[in-house]
Amino acid sequence: MSDAIVCENLVKVYGDIIRAVDGVSLNVPEGEAFGLLGPNGAGKTTMVSILTTLVRPTSGRAIVDGLDVAKHPEEVRRRIGLAFQVSTADGELTGRENLEVAAGLQGIRAPEARRRIRELLDQMQLAPAADRLVKGYSGGMRRRLELAVGVVHSPKILFLDEPTLGLDPQGRAGFWDYIRHLRKDTGVTLFLTTHYLEEADQLCERLAIVDHGKIVATGRPDELKQRTGGDTVVVKPSKGEDLTPILSAVPGALAVQVIAGAYRVKCDRGEAMVPQIVTACDRAGVEIVSVEIRKPSLDEVFLELTGREYREEGTEHSGWASERMGQMRGGRP
Amino acid sequence: MLRELGALLRREWLRYIRTPVWIISSLLVPVLYLILFGQGFNYPGGPAQYLGAPNYISYFAAGMVGFVALTMSLFSGANVIFDKGLGIVKRQAATPAPRSVIFLSPLIFRSLIALVPAFLVLGLAVLLAHIPGFVGLTVTGSVGGLGGFEIVIAVLVLALMFNALFLAFGFALESPQSYFGIVNLLNLPILFTSNALYPPGVGPDWLHQIAEYNPVSLCVNVLRENLFGSSSYYPYIPEVYLLALLAWAAAFISLAVVLGRRALRTP
Ligand SMILES: Nc1ncnc2c1ncn2[C@@H]1O[C@H](COP(=O)(O)OP(=O)(O)OP(=O)(O)O)[C@@H](O)[C@H]1O
Ligand SMILES: [Mg+2]
Repeated sequence: MSDAIVCENLVKVYGDIIRAVDGVSLNVPEGEAFGLLGPNGAGKTTMVSILTTLVRPTSGRAIVDGLDVAKHPEEVRRRIGLAFQVSTADGELTGRENLEVAAGLQGIRAPEARRRIRELLDQMQLAPAADRLVKGYSGGMRRRLELAVGVVHSPKILFLDEPTLGLDPQGRAGFWDYIRHLRKDTGVTLFLTTHYLEEADQLCERLAIVDHGKIVATGRPDELKQRTGGDTVVVKPSKGEDLTPILSAVPGALAVQVIAGAYRVKCDRGEAMVPQIVTACDRAGVEIVSVEIRKPSLDEVFLELTGREYREEGTEHSGWASERMGQMRGGRP
Repeated sequence: MLRELGALLRREWLRYIRTPVWIISSLLVPVLYLILFGQGFNYPGGPAQYLGAPNYISYFAAGMVGFVALTMSLFSGANVIFDKGLGIVKRQAATPAPRSVIFLSPLIFRSLIALVPAFLVLGLAVLLAHIPGFVGLTVTGSVGGLGGFEIVIAVLVLALMFNALFLAFGFALESPQSYFGIVNLLNLPILFTSNALYPPGVGPDWLHQIAEYNPVSLCVNVLRENLFGSSSYYPYIPEVYLLALLAWAAAFISLAVVLGRRALRTP
């Protein structure tokens, strides 16, 4: 099968200093659901903008459906659909009118557009609000309309930039359902960015984790999870004591790393470790605030790869954390 | 191309009818000018002072048509700035629709819509002449089919060239502040170096030299010469002014195309 998307050493520099995308190479085979996962400012939107011809790369190449985005932008635009991170609907128009304008811009004939729009409004559960002005829509309704606008012309390749941002859990589940059906029915290639790890896990066959414009890991969600190799027990001391010698001595501890003042003990089964860790700390006279078992998850992968807790709000990068990350890598068995 | 253009023209229309305050004010403001300004400043004098117009209000009302076409165009670029802020232009740019359509649709729509208040002023001025207690525009020439056609074309061309220019600024500039800065810089000088509102004889000589070539003057000359049958007051026939106006329009629109292309190019 051929590749729907290929990036070769893609770089985008803003204002000579901000390396929003910093040497990304990846490929997405036709029909795959690919996820770009990363925190705020990682460069996800910039990646999508390059692939959808809205931003020119500083260097490197991006190929979409066999076409170089820099050389054949109009041809590329014909083949792609896009839902922006921030809603682009016109508030002074109704939902239906927004879709009609979108269909017209795709060159779809009016009768065909009307049928397709009715179908989409139903699927997105927007039918009852179809003839209301969008400025009166809720955030969730706007997200669904944005998605409908992106797929009105049944594109071959669909780009979704943080499509469920601001949706409640129910809305998110509904969106996932819709995407699964869409993929089954049309075989569309999906390029999705998200900072919800759960979403990437649910929807994507393959992921790239990005941080500071660079890909730090790629693979299937389960592969990535396995990288953390077993459970992690997170121990927080009440004062700044150094627990490394105590924790390393606990039988079954495979490795100990410190991230943001919390000690992370790698082990096969966390449940068996907790009592031993508590006893060891007790014996050493160290008071601990919390002990927590973490099962392998994308959150853990992210944390280990970037040395930062994966939060949904922006986390500041600290040099200290990356130093620790280096130590951890070196000290691993 | 036509389907895309149709879709965007329809959007312009829908947005227009959804803002009744703007519709009413855009119609009311020129009418207020005509009534307050035109009635209040009814200077003495006849055709000799007013380039063939029988009185000041007749002279002024014809000038108002050009003034309205200019003023309406100032709002067009502001709308583009707000559309950009809402991501609407980015959404359009992500579709296969040609970039020219993104520029052409507001240009066509806004130029045509500017004709409504412009000719409303003209009609109302003619009407006022027949209402006791008011002064209005008295048509003293014999405006034939050709004259009427020339008038419509002159106003349309004026609206097109200023809309093209200000839309280009709207696409090129990022903030409403910088846009209104440009508008402020250009609007009054364009207006006050024209003969739209003041007859020759007011102001210094160099101003009249400029006024001869000002596009608003050229447009208004086409109107006045036709409406007042006053060829003896003008060195050229209306068609010459129309041609000169077209030359201006070609220059403005070329500039707008250069600016607009650059603004809509992928960054
Ligand atoms: N037009 C621009 N001009 C200057 N810098 C920009 C521009 N667009 C993005 N950046 C910078 O590039 C970096 C990546 O931004 P981008 O929007 O791609 O991140 P993101 O991963 O989409 O983040 P988020 O999760 O917050 O949406 C950021 O540091 C941002 O400040
Ligand atoms: Mg983003």
